[in-house]
Amino acid sequence: MNEPPAHPTPMIETHDVVKVYADGKVRALDGVDLTVGPGEFVAVTGPSGCGKSTLLGLLAALDTPDSGTIRVGSHDLVRLQDSDRFRRQAVGLVFQLHNLLPRLTVLENVEIAMMGSDRPRGDRAGHAARLLEGVGLGAMADRRPPQLSGGERQRVAVARALANDPPLLLADEPTGSLDSRSVATVLALFEGLRADRGVTVVLVTHDGDVAAAADRIIPMLDGRVVGA
Amino acid sequence: MTLFTLAVGNLRAKKARSAGIAFAVALAVMTVVTLSVVSSGLEQAAAAVLTIGKADFTVAQKGVSDIIYSSLDDRQVAAVQESPGVESAVGVLVETERIDAANPLFIEIGIQPGDLSAFGVSVIAGRAYGADAADEVMLGWQAARDLGLHVGDRFRANGTTNTVVGIYSTGISYGDLGAMFPLPAIQAYNRVPGSVTLVFVKVASGYSVVKVQAALESAHPELTTIRTASEFGRADRNIVFLRAAVTGSTILALLIGAIIVGNTMLLSLFERTREFGLLRAIGWSRGRVVTLVVSESLLLAVLGSSLGVALSYLVTFALESLPQLHGVLHASFSEGALLRGLVVGMGMAVLGSLYPAIRAASLTPVKALSHE
Ligand SMILES: Nc1ncnc2c1ncn2[C@@H]1O[C@H](COP(=O)(O)OP(=O)(O)OP(=O)(O)O)[C@@H](O)[C@H]1O
Ligand SMILES: [Mg+2]
Repeated sequence: MNEPPAHPTPMIETHDVVKVYADGKVRALDGVDLTVGPGEFVAVTGPSGCGKSTLLGLLAALDTPDSGTIRVGSHDLVRLQDSDRFRRQAVGLVFQLHNLLPRLTVLENVEIAMMGSDRPRGDRAGHAARLLEGVGLGAMADRRPPQLSGGERQRVAVARALANDPPLLLADEPTGSLDSRSVATVLALFEGLRADRGVTVVLVTHDGDVAAAADRIIPMLDGRVVGA
Repeated sequence: MTLFTLAVGNLRAKKARSAGIAFAVALAVMTVVTLSVVSSGLEQAAAAVLTIGKADFTVAQKGVSDIIYSSLDDRQVAAVQESPGVESAVGVLVETERIDAANPLFIEIGIQPGDLSAFGVSVIAGRAYGADAADEVMLGWQAARDLGLHVGDRFRANGTTNTVVGIYSTGISYGDLGAMFPLPAIQAYNRVPGSVTLVFVKVASGYSVVKVQAALESAHPELTTIRTASEFGRADRNIVFLRAAVTGSTILALLIGAIIVGNTMLLSLFERTREFGLLRAIGWSRGRVVTLVVSESLLLAVLGSSLGVALSYLVTFALESLPQLHGVLHASFSEGALLRGLVVGMGMAVLGSLYPAIRAASLTPVKALSHE
């Protein structure tokens, strides 16, 4: 395993994380140790079923581990009091599919993530519009997701993930269904985020070319991180 | 974008289902409001008899099924008259009779001519009838106008053909829509010599109405005193049953409606599991998801309740114009009835959506997101 980068406080630090499904029959994660420094751009790779999405879900506080410890920023995810607040403020999430609500406009899809946030109501639409500009979709704010290409939809999802200025972006196969040109656009976006805002990016992918864009590759196999 | 606009948009996106829920609410609200206005109309008509006497309170026999069946004899009327604090006690016999199709419940009052002024009656044309006249009648001015009768005309009622000797006014339209007869004549026709239906009491100055009522009731346990229409149930058990039936139907409509709303909502929320998972994943709290779902349902309830009230107006109008019910049914739309409808509509929405909403919000985001 890689030496943790020489940063004082890591953005992500997990120790011996275990997650079992189906009453213990499936050990989706079997002792994951992982450290990601602030501002790093890492790619988690590995064969289907090795536990990548499960790990990402735990990092996003969508679910809790059966044992082990997880720290994200200053939060201890095992003892997290308000996981809604954590998801709203501390992380941005991008999924592989079905990211957006098809009924809402692109702008509203971004804005909806700010409901319940500290940002004043009157500023939300404007902020959403700026985020869409940032992902190159300023002109498409009033369209609905079915009227966008797959790559455009993923960029909307990225804009939404950034709605509450999280220091960490978690993306699960964001380029899985995209052609190579869209893949390049989305990857450039992640690069830019890291460079411009110092956002830490964790990208799950099984595509070696995509993984190569990251600073560091974290290979997984059978529920564990394996030495690269 | 607010929770409100989001809810409105969600409803518009599923027009057929939204319309279905709103219509279920409308039917329940229509049922409840119609029942309520018809029953309060009946109640008001029944209690209207109490308003004619311009009395401080009315004395009736306790526990009769219909106030018209109350019966007090001479001795009881005299006892009321002698009760402390009673200034005047006027015994009257009240009955209804079918005069013609337009007047199926024509009100007829038997009262001594000497009691007319204490009862608040003024003769505005002709004269009062004789105390023992067998075939004389006075008509209320509205009844005379509606029937097209004048002093000197003939009026068939109370078993005989009477001469209209006078036209009176009580200042209360329920009284002015009827006729007054000499007390013995109407007692004879109903074969209840010496009996009256109600005694209208005026309290002497310096006495408290409530205390006089209480003294009378404790001295005469077989009698009851009624001051307001809401106390009417004491003398009229039909009204008590009617109110119970309306309350029962209201609860039933509420429950049936809530089940329909709940069922439809459950189906629709099941389809939206992924949507809620996504919202939770991007930081929405359970409470916010529940609020969204309940707001959607409340919006439909507002729509459905308004439609239900409108339908209720149409239905009561239709019922009132049925020949069988014409003149019997007087719908009385009150704030209370509308409020009852609104409570039922909102209650259905909240009851029906709360469980589905909590269920939708209680799934962990991963489970909801992996839902197909
Ligand atoms: N809710 C669940 N119930 C039971 N088993 C599950 C559940 N979710 C995941 N698993 C199992 O846990 C293991 C890890 O799943 P996970 O989704 O994390 O894999 P992955 O690496 O993301 O795969 P892929 O590349 O195909 O997305 C798999 O064997 C999967 O079948
Ligand atoms: Mg996966």
